Amino acid sequence: MTGVAPGPSSVVPDLLRGRVAWIFGDDFDIDLVIGVENIKSYDPVHLRSVCMATYDPDFISAVRPGDVIVGGRNFGYGHPHYPAMIALRNEGISAVIAESFAPGYWRGEIYQGMPLITVPGISSAVERWDEVELDWRAARVTLPGSGQVLQGSPLSEHAVRVIEAGGGFNLLLKEQGPEGRARRAMAAADD
Amino acid sequence: MGSTITEKILARAGGMDVVRPGQNAPFRPDYMVAYDFPGYTDVMFKQMADDFGITTLDDPDRYVLFIDHLVTRGGEREEEIHRVTREWGRANGVEVHEGKGIGHQVAAELGYAMPGTFLVHFDGHISGLGAFGSLGWGVRKDLLEAWVSGAVYLDVPASSKFHLEGRFGPGVDNRDLLHHIIAEMGADGCAHQVMEYVGPGAEAMSIDRRQGLCAMAMFTGAVSAIFNPDELSLEYARKVARRDFEPLYSDPDAEYAASYEIDLTTLSPQVVLPGSAKSSNTRPIEELAGTPVQHAYIGSCASGRIEEIRAAADILRGKKVAANVRLNVVPTSEQIYQQADEEGLLSVLSEAGAHVAKSSCDFCIGYAAPLAAGDSCISTGVLNISGRMGSTEAQIYMGSAYTVAASALTGTIADPREVVPS
Repeated sequence: MTGVAPGPSSVVPDLLRGRVAWIFGDDFDIDLVIGVENIKSYDPVHLRSVCMATYDPDFISAVRPGDVIVGGRNFGYGHPHYPAMIALRNEGISAVIAESFAPGYWRGEIYQGMPLITVPGISSAVERWDEVELDWRAARVTLPGSGQVLQGSPLSEHAVRVIEAGGGFNLLLKEQGPEGRARRAMAAADD
Repeated sequence: MGSTITEKILARAGGMDVVRPGQNAPFRPDYMVAYDFPGYTDVMFKQMADDFGITTLDDPDRYVLFIDHLVTRGGEREEEIHRVTREWGRANGVEVHEGKGIGHQVAAELGYAMPGTFLVHFDGHISGLGAFGSLGWGVRKDLLEAWVSGAVYLDVPASSKFHLEGRFGPGVDNRDLLHHIIAEMGADGCAHQVMEYVGPGAEAMSIDRRQGLCAMAMFTGAVSAIFNPDELSLEYARKVARRDFEPLYSDPDAEYAASYEIDLTTLSPQVVLPGSAKSSNTRPIEELAGTPVQHAYIGSCASGRIEEIRAAADILRGKKVAANVRLNVVPTSEQIYQQADEEGLLSVLSEAGAHVAKSSCDFCIGYAAPLAAGDSCISTGVLNISGRMGSTEAQIYMGSAYTVAASALTGTIADPREVVPS
């Protein structure tokens, strides 16, 4: 199951469907996903070889596109570096659903276009490999197995636009890049 | 209902009468600050020109650059980064401050941290400027949004109020207060909020202590920290301000997410175990006294200010650092270095066996004097995660400058209250 097709205006599907590939605890330092000795690597082959290796050596062969990871409170605590999430994304992880997020991590990964959805109760409501369906705009998680629905805190409109654009840089390019500037200049001329 | 100082600063930066927590809007910083670092500024310089076609800045005075990392060792790659920074600054009319020290401190010395101003950086330790009643916010890669558009979208944060009474006892300082707060409240005790320090204990606290305290705000989950301006910070700001400024203050009826009271006289030295600053790693010094260390470091954007250099000199005066300990003392800025020199503190430290270095960020990040596998260090750096100061197999403990100096004397983590002169 890889999630529904993206809508025309978003690079991220409206509904993300997948399984819970891992559940992390509170104050989780995301660097540990690849190990601190690898936090400067952007080599996909190397990142693949170390991704989640200390947690589950079979993670890479088991995870599928569309799967999500679940976190406890203050997910992303520390001085989070980007490669850990790049490694997870390379393996198909499509979103992080957590009890709450550390602000620096939250800002850094929303910029990268990763849906980070705050849903209180999520870490105790699911078990590994449970199926989940995430309406990321509404911050709503449905557990098809039990029919349970968990409601979280929706993102701001701006954060939604960032994710829809595939990251902060892409949105900025759309709005402020040469095309965006030309569009605004034309609109101003029409006024 | 009134507003907090944070809400007022953001309202002014957002061109609004009032803002409330949770509101999301673009805010226009007074200054958009960065230090040059591979993968950050070099990429941003290129993006500005190549992707956004920006070759002339509307208001170059709002851009500020520091060269404070990767300066101690040299090398072709580092020189190239710094050369690109200098050139971009020259071409765009942007001030590049080099050789003056750690930017988060130098920004204050050069008058960017005027009370009521709003500053952003990609690095969260800019929150240290909250000591002056300005709001410093680390926005990570969204700094590009500010550079390109002039403003950055932010969620208005709620504030938690910390009412401080009393004064620090001998051998105890702002580092102990911060780690005490984390130990009590957890690593997300102020998540997505601003920590606002008030009360007689805050007013009696020196500017140095305020800066160090605010600089570490992120380890409670806060986005920043701030003191309301008072005569002490206003006097400093008036001397160095780059322009006229209008201070802002919290209203008496402002609303807070939470309020806490802390009596500074009751605090004791805290040490953080290797790993991170989170609450379960924070221990009273009594529990760790006697732990062997071979390295000791006083410096970083959160420490290494004149009071901490004085504290270290008081403890080390006429004594010798343990034979197997390497103590690096790095004053936070050139100005602080000069002052410490004039006060005779640097020679006291050198005579005790410390290595005193020119100001930079490089010891804190393990670029200078990296730790080897198996080493243990006691540090006033901002971070003690594995690999921060060199080998991933080295251990980094954190404590105040008092604690680091006392530990350097014995080669084991030591309680500074036993050696600090009364």
